Order: sequence, then C-alpha cells, then structure tokens
Amino acid sequence: MNRRIRDTILNPLINENPITLQVLGICSALAITNSLYSALIMSLALILVLAFSNVTISLIRHHLPDSVRIIVQITVIASGVIVVDEWIKTFLPETARTLSVFVGLIVTNCIVLGRAEAFAAHNKVGYSFLDGVGNGLGYSLVLVFVAIIRELLGTGSLLNVKIFPTTTEGGWFDPNALMLLPPSAFFIIGFLIWGIRSWKTEQVEPAEFKQLLISDEDFD
Amino acid sequence: MDNDNPIKAILVVMLTALVCSLLVTVTAVKWQPIQQAYQNLDRNRALVKISGLTHESAQLTDSEVIALYQKIEARVVNLATGETDANYNPNTFDGWQAENNPELNEEIPSEFDLAKLKRRSRLINVYLIFDPENGRLKRMILPIYGQGMWSKIFGFIALENDLNTVAGITFYQQSETAGIGDKILNPIWQNSWRGRKLFVKDETLVLGGDKSSSQSKLNGLHQIDAISGATVTVDAIKDMVEYWFGPHGYVNFLRVIRKEIKP
Repeated sequence: MNRRIRDTILNPLINENPITLQVLGICSALAITNSLYSALIMSLALILVLAFSNVTISLIRHHLPDSVRIIVQITVIASGVIVVDEWIKTFLPETARTLSVFVGLIVTNCIVLGRAEAFAAHNKVGYSFLDGVGNGLGYSLVLVFVAIIRELLGTGSLLNVKIFPTTTEGGWFDPNALMLLPPSAFFIIGFLIWGIRSWKTEQVEPAEFKQLLISDEDFD
Repeated sequence: MDNDNPIKAILVVMLTALVCSLLVTVTAVKWQPIQQAYQNLDRNRALVKISGLTHESAQLTDSEVIALYQKIEARVVNLATGETDANYNPNTFDGWQAENNPELNEEIPSEFDLAKLKRRSRLINVYLIFDPENGRLKRMILPIYGQGMWSKIFGFIALENDLNTVAGITFYQQSETAGIGDKILNPIWQNSWRGRKLFVKDETLVLGGDKSSSQSKLNGLHQIDAISGATVTVDAIKDMVEYWFGPHGYVNFLRVIRKEIKP
C-alpha cells in the first residue's frame, strides 16, 4: 500500500492519537465510557461524522473565503451530526436515551473541527477521508480501552455478559463504584497517556520552562 | 470568482445553508413517523406500568408492552358530553396531537385553565381495565398533562373502581430540573399518591384541601406530599390534576362512566 495512505490511517491510532497525543475530545470520553456498548455506538457515530465532514470540507476547500471558513465548516459538521443523531434516535431508541445529548455534542468535539482545519482544508478528498477514518479509529481505540476497564471493574460484566460474578450474586468480585463515575475515566486516560509516552518517548512534549536550581547562597 | 470577493463569501454561506437545511429536513421528515411510533410505544409503556397488570417496576420488552396493552380497553371520549365518540379508532387516535388540529381543539376559558394549556383537544383517549371473569371495572387510567416549570409534563393517573381512590400515577415526558423537579419520577413519591382520594361527596375536588375547612379530618387523604426545592413542578402537578378532575376536565366523563358501571 502507498506509504502515505498507510500513514494517514495508522498514525492517528497511536503515534498521533487525537486523545492521547493531541488531548482533544476528552469530554465524551469521560461521559459515556461507563458502558462498552455506548462507547462502541459513540465511536461509530464519530467515525461517520469525521469521514463525512472531512470529505465535504475537502471538496469545497478551494472555495472557502477566510472570513466564513470556520462558520461553513461548523455548519457542515452540525448537519452531519444531526443526521447521525436522528438515525440513532430512529433505529436505536433505547441507546439514544442512554447517549442522550452526547451524540449532539460531537459538534463541539474538538477532534472534528481540528481535523477539518488541520487536514481537510489543505488535502485532497481521498486522503481527507482516510484521515477522518484514521482519527475516528484512534478515538475509538481509546474509548473502547477505557470502557472495557470501566464496565468490567465497575459492574463485572461486558456488553451484558457476566464475566466476574459479583458479591451481590454470591460471587467473589466486589465492583468498584468509582469506575462508574466520570473521574475514573480521567485517571484511566491519564495512565494511558503516561504508558504510551513511556513507550514512545518522542511524544513527550518539551518542558515549557527551564528549571533553574536556586540555592540559598544566591541570596546572601 | 476570487475568494477575496465579499459576494463570494455571501454566496458560499447561502449555498451551504441551503444544502445543509435540505439534508437535515429530508432526514427529519423521513424518519419522524418511526420516531413517533416509538414515542407512542413509550407512552403505552407508562400506561401499562400503572395498569395493575404487571409489577410497577418491571422492565418490559417492547412486545410485552404491546401484549399487555391489548388487555386494556381504550376509548375516545368527548370531554364536553362525557360520551364515547365511535368515529375514531381509540388505538390509533392521538388525543394529545389532536390539540394541534383546528377542527378538534378548543380554547380553555382562562378561569378554568389551571394547567396553563390554553388549548386542548375536545376528544381524549381514556383507558379502562375490566376483570375478564366478571366484566367489572378494575381500574381506569386517564391522561393528565399541563405546563410544568420548563415545558409540558405528560403522565397518567390510575383510579380504582370507585373512581375516587388513586391507584397510581406516572409521568412519561417531562423536562423538569434534573435532580430536583424530576423527582416526580421517583417511585417512592409516586407511591405516596396511592390511596389518596380526589373527591369528597363525588364531585367536589378537594385535592390539597384548605386546613381551616370543616373537612380538615379528611385532608390527609386529599393532600399530596410536596418535594422540597421543586415547588413549581409539584404545584404544576397539583394544578394539572385539579384541572383535569375539575369542571372543564373529566367531570362529565366520570358521571357517564359511573352510570355505566353501576350494577
């Protein structure tokens, strides 16, 4: 496969993951990852919106005057989000109730506008589509990772399949209630970022300030 | 046209707005009937919940809701006369939507409009549950709705066969303040309605009765518990119930039904 195509899809998975490297799109990662099923639906929704928005913006990129560029991009993104949200409300009404406002909030997800500005506005349609899918997959990887940990440790089951028998059912597993609350996602993502940057040290950002060692003698 | 040309900016914006609105509108219109069907199913889920045909906290599948709904007799009732209107199929007629139909709706005189609805349909859906063995009325479920704190609150109230004692209450659509107003969904609060009586001597609604009245001994039965911090919401529920069981609500229907079920 063409090296550029491969890089466009694979880079956002770990090397340039939108959540762990660029630290974008954290809000929905915290809110809906207490259930693996919600995380999967949300991931699918984001991939669809990203692909649609990247392709559309790439198609019209030569005709976007600077004065209205952002507004037009947001309008396109919002329309994509509305269509996806309506689809979920129509064909998956139970899930729609669980996901409630978070599908609609994809409009505010920095990943979507971020990729539109950083990539789709300057690249051809084909690569923009791949970049959209790649970043969507990178986001999905993190969401699924967090959701598996949270749902497994918070309820003992995954996708309604019991894996650890809980003490309330006579088993040995005592579910961790913190895992069902958003702050747990914060911690898990933090540890994930720490882990990835220990493995791929090139992702570590240089310090913004130089630390000066000051000793007491300097004040005599 | 050059991108710096301001006319191009206007054209691009207008074209984007046109295409996007078309896309969104076509989607919404095409899928609206399916969403409406599911909303109706959800409404019937609430209906079945307080019908006494199943445990109130049971989580029912869609087909279970449909199966239990078929054990309930639905009727379309003209609120002014209290009689059943046979021209409409009670299982498909939507008395809540009819309020938008100029032929079917009417204005509520302001002195009666406690629920702040301004208009309501002349016809409404009512639900009766008869004992399959002896044909006696077991329970009656009536829709109640009115203006809440932020938007309309929709629910059902179930009455025992004396048409006075509350058997249950539930709300299936509301946008009250999260954590405060939406405590009206709390099963403990809803359970506190059971056994309360709406009327004293058949037709006088005494809900939330005046402490100084001579009926004060009965007031416990005619009062509902408030929810602290949710004054507007609970007042809205009280107003709603007083409207629907007042002179502009179900009063005529109740008179007709009482005659029907007397042996």
